[in-house]
Amino acid sequence: MKYQLHLAHLYGDLLNTYGDIGNVLALEYYAKQMGVELTSEIISLDQLFDPKKFDIAFFGGGQDYEQVIVSKDIQHKKDDLITYIEDGGPMLAICGGYQLLGKYYIGAHGERIEGIHALDHYTKSQDNNRFIGDIVIKNEETGQTYHGFENHNGVTFLGEDERPLGKVVSGHGNNGEDQGEGAIYKNVYCSYFHGPILARNGELAKRILLTALKRKYPDADFSAQENLTIKPTY
Amino acid sequence: MSLKSSLAITAGKTSHWFLHNFMHGGTSLPGKLTLKIDPDVLQALAKDYEIAIITGTNGKTLTTALTVKVLEAKYGNVLTNKSGSNMKQGIVTAFLTAKTGKSGKKIAVLETDEANVPIICEYIKPKLFVLTNLFRDQMDRYGEIYTTYDKILKGVLMHPDALVLANGDAPIFNSKKLPNKVIYYGFENQTEKEQLAPANTDGLLCPSCQHILHFKYRSYSNLGKYFCPECGFKRPELTYKVTALTQQTPQSSSFKINDHPVQLHIGGTYNIYNALAAYAVGAQFDVAPETICQALSQNDEKVFGRQEVINLDGKEVTMILVKNPVGLDQVLEMIKTDDKPFSLAVLLNANYADGIDTSWIWDGNFENLPFDKIPSVLTGGERYKDITFRLRVAGVPEENFAQRESLKDVLAFIKQMPTEHIYVLATYTAVLQLRKLLADEGYIKGGMD
Repeated sequence: MKYQLHLAHLYGDLLNTYGDIGNVLALEYYAKQMGVELTSEIISLDQLFDPKKFDIAFFGGGQDYEQVIVSKDIQHKKDDLITYIEDGGPMLAICGGYQLLGKYYIGAHGERIEGIHALDHYTKSQDNNRFIGDIVIKNEETGQTYHGFENHNGVTFLGEDERPLGKVVSGHGNNGEDQGEGAIYKNVYCSYFHGPILARNGELAKRILLTALKRKYPDADFSAQENLTIKPTY
Repeated sequence: MSLKSSLAITAGKTSHWFLHNFMHGGTSLPGKLTLKIDPDVLQALAKDYEIAIITGTNGKTLTTALTVKVLEAKYGNVLTNKSGSNMKQGIVTAFLTAKTGKSGKKIAVLETDEANVPIICEYIKPKLFVLTNLFRDQMDRYGEIYTTYDKILKGVLMHPDALVLANGDAPIFNSKKLPNKVIYYGFENQTEKEQLAPANTDGLLCPSCQHILHFKYRSYSNLGKYFCPECGFKRPELTYKVTALTQQTPQSSSFKINDHPVQLHIGGTYNIYNALAAYAVGAQFDVAPETICQALSQNDEKVFGRQEVINLDGKEVTMILVKNPVGLDQVLEMIKTDDKPFSLAVLLNANYADGIDTSWIWDGNFENLPFDKIPSVLTGGERYKDITFRLRVAGVPEENFAQRESLKDVLAFIKQMPTEHIYVLATYTAVLQLRKLLADEGYIKGGMD
C-alpha cells in the first residue's frame, strides 16, 4: 500500500479490559479502506516509547491492579510521551489511559495515583458508585454524534487547555456535573467510552487517521481519504 | 433445630410442593419464603451434609453436574442446586427438596456464584471448595478478577479446615498463601516450549514481582505451566492432571487423567478442565479412578444441555451459549475442529443477563476462524449491528454474510444455510428466545429452566 502508519499500543498486554483491542482493529479496518497499511506494536513495562517511531498511539484501560503497576512504569516514558503529544502526535486514550495522561486519579483504596501530567485534568473517585450504561454525546465542532457505553467510578475534571470530546446527550460523562465527556488536547482524544469507541464511531477513527497521515506525509493530497464514507455501525 | 427453623422449613416445603404440582416451577421462591421466616435456616438444613462448593467464572454448571454424576456412582442420591440457581434462595430450595442417597451418606454439591461464596459460607461448613478459573466476565456486573477472588477467599477463610481444590494452571489461585490445605489440578500433556500468552489476555502479571509471566506450555488464555523469569514464581505441583490429550472434535474429547482414559461427550478444552475438577472431587470422596472415569464417559444429555444439538429438517444445528471472551474463544477453537464444512450464526443481545456492555465481543478472536471455508455467516439479535461490524472487521467476505435482526428471520435463514452442520453462538437471552421459537415450531420440547 501507498501509505504506512505505525501505531504504539501502550501497555496492550496489561490494559485491555473492555474490548480495547477493538480500537486498534477498527483503525486497521478503516486504514485499509484509505489505502493505508497500519501496523501496531505493544509498548509495555520496561520498554521505552520512542516519539519519532510512531504515528499514532493508543492507550486503553485496565483493572485497578494492572493500572497501579502501569502508573509507576509510565513515569519512565513520561518525557517521551509529552514530547510526542506536544509535537502534535495523534493519540487515543480510554478510561484508565485517559486518567493516567492527566495529573492523578484516586485508586480503589482511596490512594492518589500519579499520572504523567501531560494533560491538565484530574480524576477523583465516587463513593460506592459507578456510572454504568449507554451514553450518547455530540461533538460541538463537527456536529458528529458518538455512541458508547460507560462504566467508570472515576470522575474527571478538565484543565484549562482541554475541551470535552463531546457534550452529553444522554448518560453521565466525565463527572455527571458539567455535561462534558472525554477530552481533546492538541491531537489527543480521551474518553470513557467502551464499545469500543472507534468501532461504534468510525468518523472519529477517520479523523485520527487523517491527522496521522497529514502529519507524516505533509505534502500528499488526501482528498480521496477525506471523502471516504463511513457507514453507520451502530 | 429451633422452632423458627422448623416452621420455616415446613413453609418452604409446602410452597415447593404447591408450586411444583400446580404451577410447574418453583426454583427460588420456596427458598425465598423460608429465608424470610428464618434467615439462618441454611445452617439447620445443611447441618449433616458433606458439602462441596463449586465456584469460578466459567465451568461451574458442568463441573457441578459432572461431580454429582461421579459421586452418585458410588453414593447414590447427591444433593445439588438446579443449573443457574446458584444464589442463596436457590441453594436453600435445593436443601428443602433433597432426598437422601442409598448409602445414607449426605453429600451436597453446590454451584455457587462467586459473590455468594462468603454469604453461603456463613451458614454452612464446606468439606471442600473447587475453584475453576477467574476470567473477565460481564464486568458491568462482576467487576475485576482480583476483587472477585477476594470475595471467594472471604468465604474460604471462614473455613480454614476445608480443602481447596484449585485449577493449578491459573496463576491467580497461587497468588495468596492460604491457611487451608490446597490441592491443584491442571494439564501436563504437552512438550515444553517457552512462550508468552497473546497480548490481549488478562491476568498475566506475576503476583509476586509484577512482571509478565511466561509459559512452558499453555492450554488457553492464561492457563498453563506458567513461570516468572524474574523471580521464580511458578506453577505449583499438580496432584490431578491431564496426562494425554488424544482426540478433540466439537462433540467429544478423549484424554487421560492420571493415566486413566476418559471419553467425554462434549467438546472444548475448557470442558476437559471441568471433568478434571470433577475427577479431583471424586478422588477426595474416595471414589475409585475407574468408577470416576466411567461416570465421566457416559453420554448424558441432561448434563451437556448447554451445548445442544438440534435436528432442523435434517440439518445438525449446534447451539452454544457464549457470554464472555475466554468462553467465546474456546467455542471458536472447538468449532474449528469440525472436519465437515459448517455455517455460522452469531446472535447478540445486551439485556441484563447477557451483560449490557457488548464490548467483550472484541476480545473474542473471531479473526482465527477460517472464513474462506465457511460458506455462510449470519448475525442477528437485538444488537446485530455491533456483532455485524465485529465480524466484518474479522474478515467475513460480504458475499457470504447476512444480517437478520429478528430471531424469526434468523431461524428462517438458518434453515436455508448450505451446510449440514451449523453452529449457532448466542448470548443468554438470545438462546432463550431462539429455544422458544424452536419449541413453538415443534423442533424441541419446552423452554430452558
